[in-house]
Amino acid sequence: MIRLATDVGGTFTDLVGYDERSGELFTAKSLTTVDDQSRGVLDAIAMSEARDGLRTRDVTFFAHGGTTVINAITERKGVRTALVTTAGFRDVLEIGRGNRPDLYNLQFHSPEPFVPRHLRFEVRERVDASGNVRIPIELGDLQPIVRQCREQGVKAVAVLFLHSYANPQHERLCAEALAKALPDTTVCASHDVSRQWREYERSNTVVLNAYVQPIIRRYFERLEEELRRRDLTCPYYAMQSNGGISTFDQATQSPLTLVESGPAGGIAGAARIGSALGESEVLSLDVGGTTAKCSLIHDSRPTLNAEYRLEHTRIQPGHAVQVPVVDIVEIGSGGGSIAWIDERGALRVGPESAGSTPGPACYGRDGTKPTLSDAILTVGIFDPANFAGGTMALDKGKAAKAIATVAKPLGMSVEDAALAIIEIAHANMINALKLVTVQRGHDPRDAAFVISGGAGPALAARLGRDLSVKATVVPPHPGIFSAWGMLAAEPRADFRSTWFSPLAVETIAEIVRRFSALEEEAIAYFGKGRDAEVQFTYLVEARYRGQEHGVFAAFGTDDESESFAARFHAAHEKAYSFRLPGAPIEITTLHLEALLKGPVIALPNLPASGRSMAVARTGSRAVYFGAGEGWVVCPVLDRNLLPPGATLAGPVIVEEPTATTLVLSDQVMEMTENGILVIRETKWAD
Amino acid sequence: MVTMVTAGDHIDPVTQEIVEGKLAATVDEMGIVMAKTSMSPVIYEVLDFACGLLTSEGELVAQMNGITLFTGTFGTQVKALIRRFAGDIADGDVLLTNDPYAGGTHACDFAVVKPIFADGAIVAYAINVAHYLDVGGSVPGSLAPNATSVFQEGLRLAGVKIVRGDVLSSELTHIIRENVRLPDIAIGDLTAQIATVRVAARRMLELSGKYGAATVKAAFATLIAASERQSRAAIAALPDGTYFATDIIDGDGVTKYPIEVQVAVTIEGDSITADFTGCPGAVAGPINCSRGALQSACRTVIKALVGPQAPSNEGWFRPLEVIAPTGTIFTAEKPSPTGWYYEGSVHASELVWKALAPLMPSRFSAGSYSSLCVAYVSGMDSRGQPFIHIEPQHGGWGASEERDGANALIALTDGDTYNYSIEIIEARFPLLVRRYGFNTEGGSGAGKRRGGFGVIREYEILSDDASAYCSLGRTETAPWGMAGGSAGTVNLLQVVSSEGAESRDYGREAHIPLRRGDVLRVITGGGGGWGDPREREAHLIEQDIDNGFLTEATASEAYGHRRRIAG
Repeated sequence: MIRLATDVGGTFTDLVGYDERSGELFTAKSLTTVDDQSRGVLDAIAMSEARDGLRTRDVTFFAHGGTTVINAITERKGVRTALVTTAGFRDVLEIGRGNRPDLYNLQFHSPEPFVPRHLRFEVRERVDASGNVRIPIELGDLQPIVRQCREQGVKAVAVLFLHSYANPQHERLCAEALAKALPDTTVCASHDVSRQWREYERSNTVVLNAYVQPIIRRYFERLEEELRRRDLTCPYYAMQSNGGISTFDQATQSPLTLVESGPAGGIAGAARIGSALGESEVLSLDVGGTTAKCSLIHDSRPTLNAEYRLEHTRIQPGHAVQVPVVDIVEIGSGGGSIAWIDERGALRVGPESAGSTPGPACYGRDGTKPTLSDAILTVGIFDPANFAGGTMALDKGKAAKAIATVAKPLGMSVEDAALAIIEIAHANMINALKLVTVQRGHDPRDAAFVISGGAGPALAARLGRDLSVKATVVPPHPGIFSAWGMLAAEPRADFRSTWFSPLAVETIAEIVRRFSALEEEAIAYFGKGRDAEVQFTYLVEARYRGQEHGVFAAFGTDDESESFAARFHAAHEKAYSFRLPGAPIEITTLHLEALLKGPVIALPNLPASGRSMAVARTGSRAVYFGAGEGWVVCPVLDRNLLPPGATLAGPVIVEEPTATTLVLSDQVMEMTENGILVIRETKWAD
Repeated sequence: MVTMVTAGDHIDPVTQEIVEGKLAATVDEMGIVMAKTSMSPVIYEVLDFACGLLTSEGELVAQMNGITLFTGTFGTQVKALIRRFAGDIADGDVLLTNDPYAGGTHACDFAVVKPIFADGAIVAYAINVAHYLDVGGSVPGSLAPNATSVFQEGLRLAGVKIVRGDVLSSELTHIIRENVRLPDIAIGDLTAQIATVRVAARRMLELSGKYGAATVKAAFATLIAASERQSRAAIAALPDGTYFATDIIDGDGVTKYPIEVQVAVTIEGDSITADFTGCPGAVAGPINCSRGALQSACRTVIKALVGPQAPSNEGWFRPLEVIAPTGTIFTAEKPSPTGWYYEGSVHASELVWKALAPLMPSRFSAGSYSSLCVAYVSGMDSRGQPFIHIEPQHGGWGASEERDGANALIALTDGDTYNYSIEIIEARFPLLVRRYGFNTEGGSGAGKRRGGFGVIREYEILSDDASAYCSLGRTETAPWGMAGGSAGTVNLLQVVSSEGAESRDYGREAHIPLRRGDVLRVITGGGGGWGDPREREAHLIEQDIDNGFLTEATASEAYGHRRRIAG
């Protein structure tokens, strides 16, 4: 009875397997195969077969996360896609929102749309905001469109009509007619992907969904075929961006839900760690090679981003899409982030990264620029001889030489410059972590801080201290945590629909009625019948009359209008620091979260045998703490030999194959019975 | 005014970087809170607001990415408030002003300013300026396109304490409520503004608590000085000389006469001067701008020249001097009307842009549709409730040396400004949008690189009681072309009667009666072209024909193009 997860990242494909009978975990890492990611997945499986004796026929659950969807989009490698839309509106997709976030750039352009103008077609029809048909659809308009699609070699057609969230009838008729006329072409109607208003965002959503659907279908078909050939036949699941999983078939229907598949795995894992520790509020940070990603788990559930945008930056509007994506704040500070001196003489870290080639200078692969990893090595946290489980030697000399290139112009010693690089990356991370907590009304003091990624645990203790979190947590296998997290994810579906109504006593019954209709959809979606254990969470987006943007507040089926109003006022105050008690409230969106409950990865207690403080102690190393404290000799311990229940006072270094954790003085680290590292302050500074 | 950085202010580069990161995070956070909680579509959709942080002397240190109109107004506004309340500013105060003549713009823009105290002294000011939907005055929305005096443009509160000792002034909120048409929205927006400056105060206190107020102030000075150095270096790299530009403003809202304006831009070493001497006196209508808005207009283009992507602060603008006699169209004084000031100030920006474009083609483009083309539609909806719909329109931008101009972007005066969702408009107002697409009929400036296309947006009126007013510029004088490229095309507002028999054209119009079924059509122009149209590559012309941007006839006329017969 093996549960298996594979996570395809930019450089490596990670595999984590969990034997439900023995409680044992095994891992494998293969190189990502860029042209066809399934080969890397099969390579990792083959490795586990050879090394850990994995028998594929014992696998009862297979979860898969990857970058196929986001790569197809960012590399513009989707299929030739057409758009059919309401007459008069074919340019909506290209106009976008027309904003210029790059305010002072007099040569600014909006991003290119994914469908060129000559493949955007119009059909006469019109539905109004209440869902009433003003102009019946002229299906005859489709004839020349179908002809053009054939001539132009179109492989997917997206359909968007105005107000289809209120009445999808025209879209449905149009999509059916197109599917009949173009049997080999993917046809997606917007209401099947999103039932939210805002025509540009919904257009973009359905267009991108259509653009990647043939690719993801082929990918899953090939992967399934190969897995079957290797006798790995079990339900196959894809990691979705909402922190849950779906079957391959469900994911093929709305592939855009896979857009942030990898990071969502880590967040599902952080939620699982939180529940193992009995913590419902979890702040997660994953420090990768190029970026750090943070996210908040509130009430044991990942927070979703209401306005997710692909390729969005401070100066680029990006592509807004309406799919449920965990709310991730990503910053350009990772292990490979390059430190540099800007034109004003100030020290900066990132967003440029040395990536995996050439990688940090200390990798000795011709990288010459100083990176965050070089700085961590230079101050003594990483062991040059025992990095990545001893599989890779780090070159301290090359790291120091690279750091000297910024130390010299700053007039600093190499170790002070290294510490300055860490300090700046640290401050960037703190700003991002505050953005998902304090600035959204959540107190980090209530949260467990789960930190993962190769470079994360090295920085964990200081970040946790500066944020005053309840506890800083280094989960098992922090270096392949996304894959681990996929074993913690449950099948999940989100149903969001725009529904506009003032909040009044009689509104509640209608909300309840609409939610039960959505529940029926969820039960049908999972296809496990009425007896399946499905956990529903009801969220209602509301706003004060006159406002545009709403705030989500929890809704209970036993709510009265006053009790819901009270919860909305509190949610508004939490998010924006004020409430307007007398103002009328309007409902804008209903959101149903549905989780199909099932077994997830357990965290069994560690065996005590073979583990002790004495065997865990592998040596000691001096770490530089700045001009005041200087170099301090810290004991080094091997995490995999630490006995359950062990406690250690900082400063101390704990090593494991995928990461190195530094614990500071006035902190104590506990190895829990089930193998989680928890760092707490022994005395609070303020 | 130059603030010297003394040796004692030296600050380590790490702390400097951390303070700067925090400043950027703080102004962004203010912006998010404002956009999400405001009650005015002009704020939450159009983002006609801005937030910033200033030093204790009123020098800008950080500003959110919003719109360009406020590029230079914060400093003059805060300095005017410091003068007005000299010695009488206490912790817990929040100041309010909407005076166009004291660094502001027009009466609709309410500036809320909070002095931030650390250890008993002011360490910084936080500011939020937002466009209110209505501040009273002669017409709904407060911007009569034919106003002849500021007293027709609504309530003015030229420097008051809206909050004293952390308590909101009930007298002042009562005055506001009684003098505006949509009091709930105004008070909602005021609440949101105050929330943002309080957030900023909390963040700045976190910073001064950690590093000390003196270090934070030193970091501000270092940031401003570093930006000044970068700005001067960029200017010093340009050839010295005086560069001239002229343009025409199409009417002031009271009369349709052309208004000729001009600038002489002088680069001398690492300094730059924009001299508007010779521009006409303030006009009768409300397209005048005051000196604060003129500063903003010039600074916008200087920022485009010296460091478009770098975060904005006072230092970038220190090399700039703006010369203009008092009382001109660009330096209007009380009681000249300034309601539609951006219709005037955009021309001041474009004059400087036009004068500098030949010097640095890598940063500039040919002329754009320029005017925000704002129309107000108001009346009663089907429930008998009053409504006001204000909407700027996006339009065509000019080509640059390397690339065709951008289609359908917001004008220079705005920035991170969204168009309005059609589905949301129709759910909210008695309007039905019949078309929203590129203005291919109107075309754009031909050139080796052609101008971008404007838009056509058509509204059918679904109310029995509605009217409109508008102020569109560049209705006669098209966007300029560069280096042999053709001029772009003009903006226009049309109303087609419900019977379809009658169609009337408008530019700046104070009152347009509307009946159910009438169609109001806003047409925005295309940008100017860059380079000789005959040098345009055939495949680009054919691509434009395939995409419906050009017809065979216009391709032949503008480019001398004849399509190859497929064979």
